[in-house]
Amino acid sequence: MTTPIPELVVCPDHKQIFMFSAVTWNRHLIHYHKDTAISEGLLDIVVQRGLIGNFFARLMTNWIGDYAELSKLTWKVARSALPGKDIVCRGEIKQKVDSEREKYLICEVTASNENDELIASGEATVVFT
Amino acid sequence: MDNTITKDILAMIDVKKVWYYDVTKRDIKRFAQAIGEVNLIHFDEDFAKSTRYGTIIAPPLFCQIFTFDDVPPDQLPNDGSPIEIDVPIPAKRTVGGASSYKIFQRVKAGDRITVKSTLKDVFTKEGKSGKLYFVVVQTEFSNQNNEPVAEETATYIKRI
Repeated sequence: MTTPIPELVVCPDHKQIFMFSAVTWNRHLIHYHKDTAISEGLLDIVVQRGLIGNFFARLMTNWIGDYAELSKLTWKVARSALPGKDIVCRGEIKQKVDSEREKYLICEVTASNENDELIASGEATVVFT
Repeated sequence: MDNTITKDILAMIDVKKVWYYDVTKRDIKRFAQAIGEVNLIHFDEDFAKSTRYGTIIAPPLFCQIFTFDDVPPDQLPNDGSPIEIDVPIPAKRTVGGASSYKIFQRVKAGDRITVKSTLKDVFTKEGKSGKLYFVVVQTEFSNQNNEPVAEETATYIKRI
């Protein structure tokens, strides 16, 4: 039996995608220049892999609050996420370790678009402090 | 690794580039805004003092702000993609990617973060629509006390 984590729904717009490029000094045109994105076969500018990772991080920190720390996050992008489209981030506990020495959880995380198609998936490790 | 990976690329693998940055409260606030994070712990000092951290802390993946070296724009490839993945492969178009990110401790304002960036691997696989090129970059982050803060291994996928 698995335990669901409260989902996080985000809708990154052009402004947020630009802000993330700016703050990470990621000057790759596909994140803010539509013509370049289209010339590469994309439908529009695309959400950065790194920003998707932060949505997963928010999913986890919203849930664990002050009680634990996110210690590892892995994720793989399956398809492009586009501006102005909802992304639904979900997670569930897959493994729980509760021993004298260590206490942590391993959770599976997914991000899907409005058509319930997978955008990214991965795994989050949460350590209790 | 197949024979499309040239000696020039092999010479780039495991070469470490190092640089550092000083973290400010403004950096943390701006990163929080960019990821849509509204938790006061990232920008409200009074609130942050009441938490177990006792001070403003950065979101978990904050070290992403240091991943790409701020080389002058004329040193970047024409598509503006990061110089860290500028290897001589024929593929230019980006098709997804993956990350493995470890967090050892939260970054705080005043930290000096040393960044060590290393091209770890370049390899190819046959995809549904042709050959895919995988570029793997590892970035290690440590603080002024020489303590590890975070580490990211990112895989960029390109196709012709």
